[in-house]
Amino acid sequence: MTALPLVGFVALSSALFAVGLFGILTRRNFILILIAIEIAMNAAILNFVYFGAFSSGTGGLVGQEIAVVLIGFAATEVAVGLAIVLALNRLKGTINVAQANELKL
Amino acid sequence: MSLEELAFIVLAAVALFTAVAALLVRELVHTILWIAVFFVSISAIYFLLLAPFIGVLQLGVYAGAVTVLLLFGVMLTRKRIFFREAMTGIDAVPLALAVVTFIFVVTAVGELPQSSQTISVYDPTLLSEGLFGTNGSWLLLLGLLMMGAVAGSIYLVREGRE
Repeated sequence: MTALPLVGFVALSSALFAVGLFGILTRRNFILILIAIEIAMNAAILNFVYFGAFSSGTGGLVGQEIAVVLIGFAATEVAVGLAIVLALNRLKGTINVAQANELKL
Repeated sequence: MSLEELAFIVLAAVALFTAVAALLVRELVHTILWIAVFFVSISAIYFLLLAPFIGVLQLGVYAGAVTVLLLFGVMLTRKRIFFREAMTGIDAVPLALAVVTFIFVVTAVGELPQSSQTISVYDPTLLSEGLFGTNGSWLLLLGLLMMGAVAGSIYLVREGRE
């Protein structure tokens, strides 16, 4: 019988999301932005799992199912993100997002 | 305080510290080492939540695949992998926005019970039944998305592109 405080989990995942948001907004390196997105995404996935675990009945299983699908989503997103990093590096010779202004009018 | 609560507090502290360290450290390779520790600590939290399937998936996909993928991204985009980034610094506006988001979320759930609650244990067979039976379309959709992502990635990095 495991008992854990729900409030602690909410605080942890919102703090992790805040850290990820801060990273997305401040970093200029594309790979660091991808990592910040991963941190925020992990916070969201953690949300699904712990609310599922704390709910009674089999309805909580849906949380774990969504977590499985979301982990797949996140891995896909990193793969496409790194393809963009490589394409940007080939085009510009840098992965600084401040210089990725190809779509500007 | 029970042993599980102590373990949660330690793991949460490690996760938060490594997440902040990953974004503030100046060498990109060190960032990836920190983020690997972060993924492992989140995986340990899943085991603590009695969700071993998600924990193993987190270890395999995040701590394994995503970390190696990010390392390849670093190795392929620079000549020397131990390269110091120019310090971006801590801007006030994004920091304030992040703090406001944190405070908003925490106060929005202030109605939650403060005491420790028991965690439901789920049979892994029920999880697989849900994943491949009743909600099987989600996995099909994920497969389609991954196929599209592979095609898109190959298109982006193919040879002979201007």
